Amino acid sequence: MNKPNIFKREINYVLFLLPALLIYCTFFIFPTIKTALYSFTNWSDVHPVVVKFVGIDNYIALFKDSLYMTGIKNTLIYAVLAMLGQNLLAIPLAVFLNKRLKTKNLLRAAFFLPAVFSVLVIGFLWNFMYSPSDFGLINQFVVALGFERINFLGDPHLALYSVIFASVWQWVGYTMVIYLANLQSISTDYYEAAKIDRASGWQMFRYITLPLLLPAITFNTVMGMINGMKVFDIVYALTGGGPGYSTETIVSLMIKKGLSDGFYSYGAAFGIVFVILVGIITFIHISLIKMWERR
Amino acid sequence: MNRYTKGTAVTEILLLVLAAIFLIPIYYLVITTFKTPADAVSHPMGLPVNITIANYVSAFKAMNYFHVLGNNLIITISSVAGIVMLSAMAAYSLVRRTNHFNRIVFLLFMVGMMVPYQMGIVALYKQVSQLGLMNSHTGVILIEICYNLPFSIFLIKSFIGSTVPFELEEAARVDGCGVWRTFFQIVFPLLMPVIATVAILNTLGVWNDFMTPLLFLQSRSKGVLLLEVFRNIGQFSTDWTSFFPMMLLAVAPLILFYIFMQKYIINGITSGSLKG
Repeated sequence: MNKPNIFKREINYVLFLLPALLIYCTFFIFPTIKTALYSFTNWSDVHPVVVKFVGIDNYIALFKDSLYMTGIKNTLIYAVLAMLGQNLLAIPLAVFLNKRLKTKNLLRAAFFLPAVFSVLVIGFLWNFMYSPSDFGLINQFVVALGFERINFLGDPHLALYSVIFASVWQWVGYTMVIYLANLQSISTDYYEAAKIDRASGWQMFRYITLPLLLPAITFNTVMGMINGMKVFDIVYALTGGGPGYSTETIVSLMIKKGLSDGFYSYGAAFGIVFVILVGIITFIHISLIKMWERR
Repeated sequence: MNRYTKGTAVTEILLLVLAAIFLIPIYYLVITTFKTPADAVSHPMGLPVNITIANYVSAFKAMNYFHVLGNNLIITISSVAGIVMLSAMAAYSLVRRTNHFNRIVFLLFMVGMMVPYQMGIVALYKQVSQLGLMNSHTGVILIEICYNLPFSIFLIKSFIGSTVPFELEEAARVDGCGVWRTFFQIVFPLLMPVIATVAILNTLGVWNDFMTPLLFLQSRSKGVLLLEVFRNIGQFSTDWTSFFPMMLLAVAPLILFYIFMQKYIINGITSGSLKG
């Protein structure tokens, strides 16, 4: 093949990449770089024009502000508990569904159904169900059983856990479906061999199923954790961050303070803190899984 | 292992009961759409005494349903088409050319899989208004495409690398077939399984994304169904059973999609997470 043709071919390969790269740089790479730059300035609605370099002042201020620290704490509680809840319920559910059931497909479809609904809709639905007023479905049961009404979303000590419960309910089926697919790829030979050795059900689960579920465990827990750190919609629909600031999360604060209230450089610094936090947690998480894998 | 034993039957019954309890919130959502507030308070779990469709009538009107549904379809279909096309093309180039530039580009895309885009929301907001894309469908579509590119490229790239034989393309090239024709006539049709996965995952993701339209679509005539749900919740605090159909209507197209494509959706999700 002659030279110009090879050149044309190479250009075409670059052209294939270009549209995706262009969009990606415009809406992700550049804003990310700018976020880092903004975080070292005093840019806000108060200082819209004369923007000065202020070093790490924003970061220091963030760590001194209890509101942001509450946001980080709530987000971590949410992410860890929602991730644990989903996975600890999904694994046994998947193991039971992996038996030779007649209604396996129906059951799988049923447990997966809430995941199709948008998070916002699930949030509003649970908002009605949690309501302490006459129509709150859960409180109608609570009262019928002879207990006091529970203010699930109005009690600052309870609100975050109510949000987590609704979220676990929505995603447990999704998580289970991934475990189920992983289980179906495990050869039955292992279990046959274990049965000959008279292994108990628990031993088979502990020494065969669990180690071979590692790909799904890794995916579900890491993604569960990262998605948990990004939580926004469900909180917005259930509590709007309240009561007080008891369910405010990192992303909800970033939008409220960083965008709506005009503290742009603050919001940017919080964004950087957020990414570093996600990075550290993911790193520790994957290291722990690797350690477990080697054992 | 292969017999249907008594134990399995008991497990099956227990699981069915569990599933029934698990789905109570959905059942509650659906039956309440047909009730009046008084009806719903006096027997929340029972079937509606006097079935009313008045809730649906007011929901359709309050949401301006068909107009807004049109917006949803425009945004979802354009975004998914864009994601599929652009990520397939990019992935193809990244597999077949492994020079320094492409390796760096791939790394850059992988960064996007790790870094949550919410971090840059302040800068993104400014960027979108500078480009004059605020309050436009184009802006939302481009953002949706952008944030779904990394994972889609990742999936398609590993699919091409493992299943599309290079010999086939070699043969086409010898016959004088250019890069574009090779891609669209030979490679693209072979990508259908992974394209289905990417399309399904992104349809669910884009339709259910609330934050992007919330931040970037201000005028009501351009909004999406979830925004209508969000805007109406305050106005329907007394007539709250009229709000229930809105929640259902906002996701109704997805539920239909799920009912008919259940197998493909579940396959798509599992292959997207385990093979990736």
